Amino acid sequence: MIEVQQLSKRFTQGRGAKARSVLAVDGVSFTAADGRITGLLGPNGAGKTTTLRVAAALIDADAGRVQVDGIDVATRPTEALARMGVLSDARGLYPRLTARENIVYYGRLHGMSRADAAMRAETLARMLDMQPLLDRRTDGFSQGERMKTALARALVHDPANIVLDEPTNGLDVLATRSLRDTLRRLRDEQGKCIVFSTHIMQEVERLCDQVVVVSHGRTVAVGSVADLNAASGHAEFEETFVSLAFSAEDRRQARYAGGAA
Amino acid sequence: MIAAAWTVYLKELFDALRDRRTLLVVLLSSVAIGPVVLVLISQLVGGIEKRAEARVVVVHGIEHAPTLRNYLERQTFTVREAPAGYEQQIKDSRLGDPVLVVPAGFEADLARGKAPVLELLASAANPRSQSASGPVVRLLRGFNQEQATLRLAVRGVSPTALEALRIEERDLADPASRAAQLSTMVPFFVLMAVLYGALNAALDTTAGERERGSLEPLLMNPAPRLALVLGKWGAVASVAILIALLSCLSFLPGQWLLRSEALSAMFRFGIGEAATFVGLLLPLAGALAAVLMAIAIRCKTFKEAQANATVVMLGVSMLPLVTIFNQEGEAPWHLWVPALAQTTLMGRVLRGEALPWADVAVSAGMCVLLAVAAIAFVARTLRTAALK
Repeated sequence: MIEVQQLSKRFTQGRGAKARSVLAVDGVSFTAADGRITGLLGPNGAGKTTTLRVAAALIDADAGRVQVDGIDVATRPTEALARMGVLSDARGLYPRLTARENIVYYGRLHGMSRADAAMRAETLARMLDMQPLLDRRTDGFSQGERMKTALARALVHDPANIVLDEPTNGLDVLATRSLRDTLRRLRDEQGKCIVFSTHIMQEVERLCDQVVVVSHGRTVAVGSVADLNAASGHAEFEETFVSLAFSAEDRRQARYAGGAA
Repeated sequence: MIAAAWTVYLKELFDALRDRRTLLVVLLSSVAIGPVVLVLISQLVGGIEKRAEARVVVVHGIEHAPTLRNYLERQTFTVREAPAGYEQQIKDSRLGDPVLVVPAGFEADLARGKAPVLELLASAANPRSQSASGPVVRLLRGFNQEQATLRLAVRGVSPTALEALRIEERDLADPASRAAQLSTMVPFFVLMAVLYGALNAALDTTAGERERGSLEPLLMNPAPRLALVLGKWGAVASVAILIALLSCLSFLPGQWLLRSEALSAMFRFGIGEAATFVGLLLPLAGALAAVLMAIAIRCKTFKEAQANATVVMLGVSMLPLVTIFNQEGEAPWHLWVPALAQTTLMGRVLRGEALPWADVAVSAGMCVLLAVAAIAFVARTLRTAALK
């Protein structure tokens, strides 16, 4: 279970007189339960990636806190990371190593024995349908093959909590479908707590048990797709999302820009 | 912590050794170049020695000057007839000796007391002929002196009347010490091998990792950041010292090809010296690996890191020149500057001098300090670097 409470984070861009302060996250809160898929939905720049980076102990929050299975990420990052598998926006692999070596390396960093890590790589390869890739060097892998390898690498230590930042970015239809199936199986068969961020509504509709709508660094709505549709009075989720995530001013400006174009 | 650092070390070492193409280039440029240069130097020194020992004067028209020939032969010089077209040959640097041209009326002019003119042909664009003309001029001055003394003696004047003082020149540099000067190049090449060995691995584990986008996921493992940095640093330093070892060993077969006897007598470089070199270079390999990583971690791409690392490359390649061009010899501060200290100490090993423990400790200590500072910087910067 991942609990995010009143998280806020401000960045300073530039230096000296040109320094500009940006409030990236301004009080995001949500709870992602075990055995459920929670979608963090928001427009670009809403603060999704920053929230997930704080959860993965890559950034320190200015205020608020994140707990993973009751462990505070800020004070006990190593223990929290051991219970989390994170597929971040950056999913670079080592091009001179094979997919198997990439996965086993992360297993070793998680403190697994070489034999255990190798066995786990086999299991994950079966689950993600990537056995033929295992002994190929990752140099020259397609986007889908890269994503599978990176996901296997993130799951090598069999974490109870899985965090994915825009996992379908750059994937084609088949790879996206295959990823959705994998996430459903991880939820249904293994009861994992899965959190993923996206700005694509169809994905949320098809996959999520719970949606957290984030806009301008704040949580603006939490609930299932049906709940949110009902609350906003729209039949289509896209309409619901636009009415929740964008202010009247945002919408007016978007119309103006569209008309001008 | 140790287990994580070891895992990172093994992976980085394995990764670096798999980069065959880069390794091959490094091996060719750092390991093969030293012995090749050594052989070239030996040919140069061999040539200098051969001419110094030959005692030959190349003359055109010696048949016009039997007195001069007699003098030259008394000085144990061999007189050799100048080849046809000698002027052009000197101009084209095909003839390395200066040519003495004797005019037809030389002997008659000499007998009548008219000073005949001898021409000595050399070219400033032909350094070999230029450097060899000095001894010939001195030889001719000797002949001049002898003739003048004889004439004064015939007239009953003491030759000392014309001699207010006498100068005796002694050249203390024998071919062997010239060779020693040239063998200072060897530590330079070994030093370059360490640097080039460390360069690619250091850049790949830092800037390369950022460029690939693999640093951010790496930091999401529950391994301490210092462990990650130590593992990476250990691997880079290992690659550097491996290349240095190969470079040192390559001089062993290299010296069998030495053509100069004096050079091979001076260049005593056996397994013992090679091992001492590697021992001296070990702390430097660690320091250079850490410094290069510290520079590269601030760069977003491998290319940017390469441009930034040029400063280190330039510094390390310029420092040993201090010992080559320094007029004042070794100064105590040389031992406090990494790279320069190692060059100085390796020079001592080559000259067969003692290596006091205090000197070795100072040079190694400075490297350790530099490495610790750079590693701490990389560990501190790692998280910020991963996100930008």
